[in-house]
Amino acid sequence: MLKYIIKRLLMLIPVLIGVSIIVFVIMRVFSPDPAPIVLGQHATVEMANAWREVNGLNAPLHIQYFNFIKGVITGDLGHSYYTKTPVLEEIFARFPATIELAVSSILFASLFGIIIGAISAVKKNSVFDSAGMVTALIGVSMPIFWLGIILIIIFSGTLHILPSGGRADPLLQPATVTGFFLIDSLLTGNLQSFADTLVHLILPSCALGMYSMAIIARMTRSSMLETLEQDYIRTARAKGVTEGRVIRRHALRNALIPIVTVIGLQFGSLLGGAVLTETVFSWPGIGAYTVNCILKSDFPVVQGVVMLVAITFVIINLIVDVIYAFLDPRIKYSKKEA
Amino acid sequence: MNTVKRVFCVVLATVLLCLTFTACGSRQQSPTQASTDTLIFAQGAEPRGLDPALVDDGESSKVIVNIYEGLLKYAKDSTKLEPCLAESWDVSKDGLTYTFHLRKGVKFHDGTDFNAEAVKFNIERQMKGKATQDMSYADFVYGYVTKVEAVDEYTVVITLKDVCTPFLYNLAMSIAAPMVSPKALQDNNNNVNEHPVGTGPYKFVRWDKDQAVVLVRNDDYWGEKAKTKNVIFKIIKDNSARVVALNNGEVDMIDGIDATVVDQITKAGNVVDQPDGMNINYMAYNTTSPIFSKPENRKAFSQAINVPELVKSLYQGYASPADSILPSFVPGFAKDVKQVAYDPEAAKAALAKAGITSVHMITYSNPRPYNTATGQALAEAVQGYLSKVGVTCNIEVFDWTTYKQKIKAGDYDICFYGWTGDNGDPDNFMALLSDKDPTMNVARYDNPQYNELIAKGKATPEGPERDDIYAQLEKIQADQNPWLLVSHSKLLSAYSPKVQGYYYHVTGNVFLSGMSKNK
Repeated sequence: MLKYIIKRLLMLIPVLIGVSIIVFVIMRVFSPDPAPIVLGQHATVEMANAWREVNGLNAPLHIQYFNFIKGVITGDLGHSYYTKTPVLEEIFARFPATIELAVSSILFASLFGIIIGAISAVKKNSVFDSAGMVTALIGVSMPIFWLGIILIIIFSGTLHILPSGGRADPLLQPATVTGFFLIDSLLTGNLQSFADTLVHLILPSCALGMYSMAIIARMTRSSMLETLEQDYIRTARAKGVTEGRVIRRHALRNALIPIVTVIGLQFGSLLGGAVLTETVFSWPGIGAYTVNCILKSDFPVVQGVVMLVAITFVIINLIVDVIYAFLDPRIKYSKKEA
Repeated sequence: MNTVKRVFCVVLATVLLCLTFTACGSRQQSPTQASTDTLIFAQGAEPRGLDPALVDDGESSKVIVNIYEGLLKYAKDSTKLEPCLAESWDVSKDGLTYTFHLRKGVKFHDGTDFNAEAVKFNIERQMKGKATQDMSYADFVYGYVTKVEAVDEYTVVITLKDVCTPFLYNLAMSIAAPMVSPKALQDNNNNVNEHPVGTGPYKFVRWDKDQAVVLVRNDDYWGEKAKTKNVIFKIIKDNSARVVALNNGEVDMIDGIDATVVDQITKAGNVVDQPDGMNINYMAYNTTSPIFSKPENRKAFSQAINVPELVKSLYQGYASPADSILPSFVPGFAKDVKQVAYDPEAAKAALAKAGITSVHMITYSNPRPYNTATGQALAEAVQGYLSKVGVTCNIEVFDWTTYKQKIKAGDYDICFYGWTGDNGDPDNFMALLSDKDPTMNVARYDNPQYNELIAKGKATPEGPERDDIYAQLEKIQADQNPWLLVSHSKLLSAYSPKVQGYYYHVTGNVFLSGMSKNK
């Protein structure tokens, strides 16, 4: 297993090289010149030229790429053109927010998705099944930004029971330890802040997790239906195992492999695809920030974020593969099978 | 699952649910919102930074004016100049030397003294040679300065290379002009974007990226202390979410709204504020084109368009028709100047006589601060009026970046443009029509008499004589019609009725120190 993990981690290198070339070329070739954006309406041509020179943008593309890679290897991703803050600082000020939202969304999606899917499968063709699948259909077809606004209007604007956006009340925010507010508030023993963070997470998690929930519910239903037909389920029932146990221990567990794959993929896309949710809920994450930086041609930041998301994506997939082995002991990543 | 595990899960779930519902229940009165000690202003984008020399955007400047101060400041409801960190100033007869007498006993938030050396440090940091390329306003504000001397602890003498009365107005701007603690600049590698230290009524506490900037009252402030202890600038990017946050009582004030949400805001019992903005929205005739090189043709076109009606229908009351280039609160504004009156019959006759049947128009596709309805909507409205007098318009629409290139190329009869003022000086608006750069002077207007008056205005000290020069310039514009003036767009913001003393300055800044909040 360890060997397998090391091998997978080594495979990160070619992936990252590929990603870095793609993002580098796309930004340099298709983005407008950052100089006028950074320097503002009073900039002269000479000022813009001098600025490009200082920031190494007058050098040939391959030299610029080489400098960028040199920076990546030494851990220096440069400074944001627009705010002059180090890229790593800008990213780490926002990445925990994105992860916190993605994790809570995927928890919401997995919990409800699996429950809805399992009930639909067990009570196939019943009212529960139809209701579950209609919910899933609505989930996949509703645009996130629209759902977000509707949730805000209902729960915040009309019922006044949930906040309309933001990550926490500014004056209740916990002291920063890890950057994850839920963890930080527990570490500092600040329960009021913990509750406040939780409340702020509800609407954005529902909005963001709705699509994934629908996908997971459908996948669980079909996977469960297939498993429930298997011989070992009949055997278990014949042995007198209670129905609940049959469903939980025998059917669901065996149906989980494809579901976990879907959850892993969904989680990866939540990390990079939370742009709309972040904008609607004023969530201070990396998605909306990156879009803003793309519009401002802030090359160092965009390159940094894309590399980081690529690394995270690969690692999540690795974790998913490792989880397979725990779910199904027959799967072993050993030399013999490879 | 064994019993212990099961019990643990149930307990955990119950605790989480209880916490959530407790917090939900108290939502309407969260500690921050309920407190009269905290004012929350929600804006639509994150500040670029909090170092006045390194930013150029309105979102930064809203926060900056509460932390920093400059030598001069604007009056509450106009851009007239008032003393601030400089108690008084003298200008030499030749207009080249400015002597500022500084306020005594002022300290920066880090405890260091505000004095002549600090002023010298701040200006020299942005002068040619020392300024970095990304100090976008350094040249605009301090480009004329050749020397700064600290004569004694509280007297600064600034020498200019040429006479420039707008220089005083530059010193009241919220960008480049505010004074930063020299110690903070030295400690932070000449960049206090994230460590702002000024002399203003509020001190910086922290900046949670993409969430909020938190400030606290400066209890050692030299002037009247701020009425409310805490101030939070919250970043809410989505326009509808910002409106819900105000109506829900989560924030006290918002800006960046448009006419479509005004009803929603007032129905919830909140107040909409709409002063005229420091801007002008206009249509320019290309005075180098065969048609519009003749002033009589420009006049005939202007007569064909009913500006008040157009402004009313296009901006629904959130812009006022412009009778002069200068907004009414800018010094030099001339009340009695009137633009060409609507007279379609006269226009029709004149255009028929001149044999003009079609014109080539270019415009922009996006909304601009001075024209929220987009250049395209404005061009189409004008097209409608012109068709009534027998002129067809070929409109070409471009995105803003391409549009500016088209303007530079100059292949048009009519184009649409506008201007947002920088420093509240009349020269900042009026000099556009004498600028050599065709992307600034889009009418490509070149009138020696006008240019001469502009030079004179720049060199004449503040006062009635100078105001008269700008009145003359406005009259020339109204007679010669290089532009058809359309509107001054209003600055829309909204606030909760609990907020006392609300005001949104004409420069688009909010000064929170005079505001308070009722229970």
